[in-house]
Amino acid sequence: MKRGGRRGRKRDNSGKTCALSMEQQRNFEELALPHLRSLYGVAIRLSADPQDAEDLVQDTYIKALQAFPFLREPEKVRPWLWQILSRAAMDRFRREPREIYVGDLQDLDGFSLYHKVRDEDPFPYSDRLHQDFLAQFRDEEVNRALLALPEEYRLPLVLFYVEELSYRELAEVLECPMGTIMSRLFRGRKMIERELWEYAKEKGLIKRWKP
Amino acid sequence: MKPIACSEATQQFFAYLDRVLSGESLEALEAHLENCLSCCDQLEFTRKLDAFVKERVRHTSMPLGMEERLKSALRRAATDKK
Repeated sequence: MKRGGRRGRKRDNSGKTCALSMEQQRNFEELALPHLRSLYGVAIRLSADPQDAEDLVQDTYIKALQAFPFLREPEKVRPWLWQILSRAAMDRFRREPREIYVGDLQDLDGFSLYHKVRDEDPFPYSDRLHQDFLAQFRDEEVNRALLALPEEYRLPLVLFYVEELSYRELAEVLECPMGTIMSRLFRGRKMIERELWEYAKEKGLIKRWKP
Repeated sequence: MKPIACSEATQQFFAYLDRVLSGESLEALEAHLENCLSCCDQLEFTRKLDAFVKERVRHTSMPLGMEERLKSALRRAATDKK
């Protein structure tokens, strides 16, 4: 039997016809609005532009409000909101796909920023070479590196870094197996390493590539 | 337990740091780390890099008036459906 049925105004989680009482709406706001800052914190890492991030969060809350009568376990409101936000974000990415170079995955898996820095030795007089290397990057450059990732890698990584979701929670929120989460987090982090290395070359930290 | 090479050990660093490695894989990695200074260094760098990225992506401030705009949108959405 289809969820929701044809009678009444309530339907499924995408419900377009769900009417809420004033009390339900108050309950929704009390339960969901305390998570606004967290949702925005993730949305801004997904979309970069503050207006786009705000739109994504608003879209998430409106979808959540419509689906609120179907939330059976109010204590799970947080992962539920993450799930709605993730779906809304992926819908947006699919509507506006970007061409992103991923390269050979085997090469990516074997990429090691640690070895690159050690071998190129950009600070020959440093006794904390790797730390000095990382200290060269400003916040916006790290965020740029994150934004350069394909969405299927960026979304779990942002939820992992910003909200510290566990592998299990990520699997539930993103509706995929744990093994997929494990490989996305692995490759997503390898891509960040590679991006930082590319920026180091752009910044002229690595003499061999200095323009 | 079969010993593992550096290339295999490094592939498991993220899972190790995220505490999702268990059983024989965990034992093999820990045994390798006991005897490999280079992998220990690399693991420490991986840990620092993770903390470094996390620190830089966590702090954000919400746009001014966002909560009020959201509440208005929610009330409009609720009214539209009635």
